[in-house]
Amino acid sequence: MIDHLIDKQDNFEIIRDKIAVILASEVVNQKQLATDAGKDPNDWNLRIYTERSNPWEQFLNEQADKSPIVNVCFTQASFDKSSSNIVKRQKTEGLFNIDCYGYGVSSDQTTGHNPGDKDAAFKVHKALRLVRNILMSDQYTYLDLRGLVGQRWTKSIVVEQPQIDALQVQQIVGSRLVFGVLFNESSPQITPQTIESVSVEIKRASDGQVIVETEYNGN
Amino acid sequence: MSLRQLAQTDLNGILKNTTTGFGWPITLTNPNGNSVELVGNTNDIAQVIDPDTGQAVSGRLASITLPTESILAAGFEYPRGIADSGSKPWVVEFKDINGNDYKFKISQSNPDRTIGAITCLLEVYE
Repeated sequence: MIDHLIDKQDNFEIIRDKIAVILASEVVNQKQLATDAGKDPNDWNLRIYTERSNPWEQFLNEQADKSPIVNVCFTQASFDKSSSNIVKRQKTEGLFNIDCYGYGVSSDQTTGHNPGDKDAAFKVHKALRLVRNILMSDQYTYLDLRGLVGQRWTKSIVVEQPQIDALQVQQIVGSRLVFGVLFNESSPQITPQTIESVSVEIKRASDGQVIVETEYNGN
Repeated sequence: MSLRQLAQTDLNGILKNTTTGFGWPITLTNPNGNSVELVGNTNDIAQVIDPDTGQAVSGRLASITLPTESILAAGFEYPRGIADSGSKPWVVEFKDINGNDYKFKISQSNPDRTIGAITCLLEVYE
């Protein structure tokens, strides 16, 4: 039996949370930089979540904040047998879905109008731009987890086409950035116990004879 | 009166009757800024949508249905969605059942020239 409580996070959980922390902290940083540059910091705002599956209500009922929503979800891990060992360490490629949702509303302009479908698509594109640039910046080559993370890579970006049949009052465009991370997982090990000690002392006598003294302690 | 004309009469009775039917006051504004007060059917409901990420987003679906004869009688052409961002859209305004005002733009119109009704799908317009 395993002799200790498995009371730790696996590395995929640590990386999932780290991705969210990096995004959240960098969004704050980007907003400050935007303010310093005399631009509207709200244009750089993202709302970061992890592993949420309830429908997003904000776009329907809380329209004060229209900034994009980003949800980080762990979705898949595959294990490379050739680069692992069967006892302790498994080389792992984890896939994290980083879903972005852009929200747009048609609005009146001095000449013409700003269509909501275009507004939502541009907002989700900007969210994807921020997420990809942050996670692929050289500051986060190892996601601040050097020694644990070996590589990170944006595997794909898919922006879903707006729905055609049921036109919504609010325009919402969803997108998915699939983020791949190479790392190692480890598994519980047997706690080693000393079952026997052997002490050997080798001496050379004055006449050149080699003398070996041994001592055995068994538990 | 043909059966088809009878159907149109029934439709108008349903859409325009504010006493015992579904009639509801609607303000229709064309891209030139001209408005007309009409009566028709309004629909505004919440709906869950999936933007194909596998996770649902709470959405909202709104539409109006108007008798085409009312639109033509007001000197308007059939409303339609305006894709060109350089032009003003067709705009409709109506109250919900609790008297709150809402403003929408028409994003798609589906005229039924058989019995004379037009259904317009709406987007929030600010």
